[in-house]
Amino acid sequence: MKLKRLSALLVSSLLLGFGLFGICSFAAFFNIQKASAYQATSPSFVRIIHASPYVGTADIFVDGSKLLSSFAFGSITDYASIPPGPHKVEIALVGKGIDAAAITETLSVNPGFAYTVAAIGTQPNNLSLAVFVDSNLLSPGTAKLRMYELSPDAGSVTVAAGGTTLLSGISYQNASSYLVVPVGEYTFDVTSPTNGTTLSTSATLNANMVASLFVVGKFNGSPKGELVTALAAGLPGLPKTGSDPNAVPQTDAAQTHPFIPWPWPLGIASMLFIGSWIFIRRVVAKRQ
Amino acid sequence: MRGFRPILILFALVSLLMLGACGSTVQEKAELHTVHADYANTPIPDVPAARPENRAEYPINLFFPVRLVIPAIGINAFVEKVGIRPDGDLATPTQNPWDNVGWYELGPHPGEHGSAVIDGHLDRPGGYPAVFWRLRDIRVGDDIQVTNSNGKTLHFRVSRIAYYTPDQAPIQDIFGNLGGTYLNLITCAGDWIPDQHQTTLRQVVYTTFV
Repeated sequence: MKLKRLSALLVSSLLLGFGLFGICSFAAFFNIQKASAYQATSPSFVRIIHASPYVGTADIFVDGSKLLSSFAFGSITDYASIPPGPHKVEIALVGKGIDAAAITETLSVNPGFAYTVAAIGTQPNNLSLAVFVDSNLLSPGTAKLRMYELSPDAGSVTVAAGGTTLLSGISYQNASSYLVVPVGEYTFDVTSPTNGTTLSTSATLNANMVASLFVVGKFNGSPKGELVTALAAGLPGLPKTGSDPNAVPQTDAAQTHPFIPWPWPLGIASMLFIGSWIFIRRVVAKRQ
Repeated sequence: MRGFRPILILFALVSLLMLGACGSTVQEKAELHTVHADYANTPIPDVPAARPENRAEYPINLFFPVRLVIPAIGINAFVEKVGIRPDGDLATPTQNPWDNVGWYELGPHPGEHGSAVIDGHLDRPGGYPAVFWRLRDIRVGDDIQVTNSNGKTLHFRVSRIAYYTPDQAPIQDIFGNLGGTYLNLITCAGDWIPDQHQTTLRQVVYTTFV
């Protein structure tokens, strides 16, 4: 009798153990699913163009560290990734050191965004940074064009190609919206209304490209006005990689990839184990 | 009835525990909490010079991936080349849509400076798993392997995992980060939206070349 009671207790303990293990595994499965879901902060992306007629070839410092050396007027960088948030930007004549900075500004950037930052200004009291938020999302099968007016004496310029006006009324320190254009060879003519001068530059716009056209320099003065172009591959949107869960499944789907929601059978089995444990305990107690 | 009371009480407790642990469907909406990287102590990298747009100027020994392996979550998939859909979104595999993954051939090659991208389906019509079904189980630090037709294998390590709505995704970070050598994986997540024929979220796994 004693042996029977011990056996019953042992079996019931095993059943309880299996049941509790199953419940814990069931809960852990879904907790692990949730714990893996989080969002990591993206960096910001910044490209810099030197468009200040006052500052010659320059060194550029960010947060006290030199970022660019001997950065010539009219030069533009590619997009660099930097931490989001505020940054101290200082621009000094080449070799003069950070303490001789002609431009000192705080640049605040948001995670995941792309920016064009232009050093502008013609006098010590109007040196600054012009900041533009960029969109490099591609236009499928065509090209995108944006013009940045960074010439202090050009006025509200007009951009034309092949005699057709593409953009107009873009004033100093402003950028146009993105214009979708057909792919092809272009000669862009930028005309200043202040003296009627036209600057020209050629570029080949391929499919899915984003083209940036910068007007820099002085139409009456030095450095002489010029057009700077930057061409970049446009970026696609995110893919649609999900499927309709209510659609009729493909014939081989169940055989090749059977979907077994194992946590649920485990949970039900666990409850049966625990229920059996209780039942056996009661039977043993009655027989005593 | 009295004899069954403890059984009923235990049944109710266990049921509550199971329901609390679930709280969602299998294609569950992700619960997000923000992880802030230590950007305050991250040095600002060197700025790259403007790059030539003509891709023919790139080295000829580019890496063309043919297989993607993720040992930690049991993924071993053939890699197709994919381009852009007419609507401008990244395309998905077509030769074997549910078992292959797609490398964005208009972006960098794996191992090339910049952000190479590979996408794959989360599931099939009817809800059965597809190639990236278990991408949700990946962890920071996991090893990603891409192999070319010569048997050469490149290794990447998972650095970040994020979930975005499609219209809020940082595409410059996913496709256009020139700050290093990356391979980013994309699949769907969240709930199905019938009238949009897409899910609410996308999962992006950021990895760095090692």
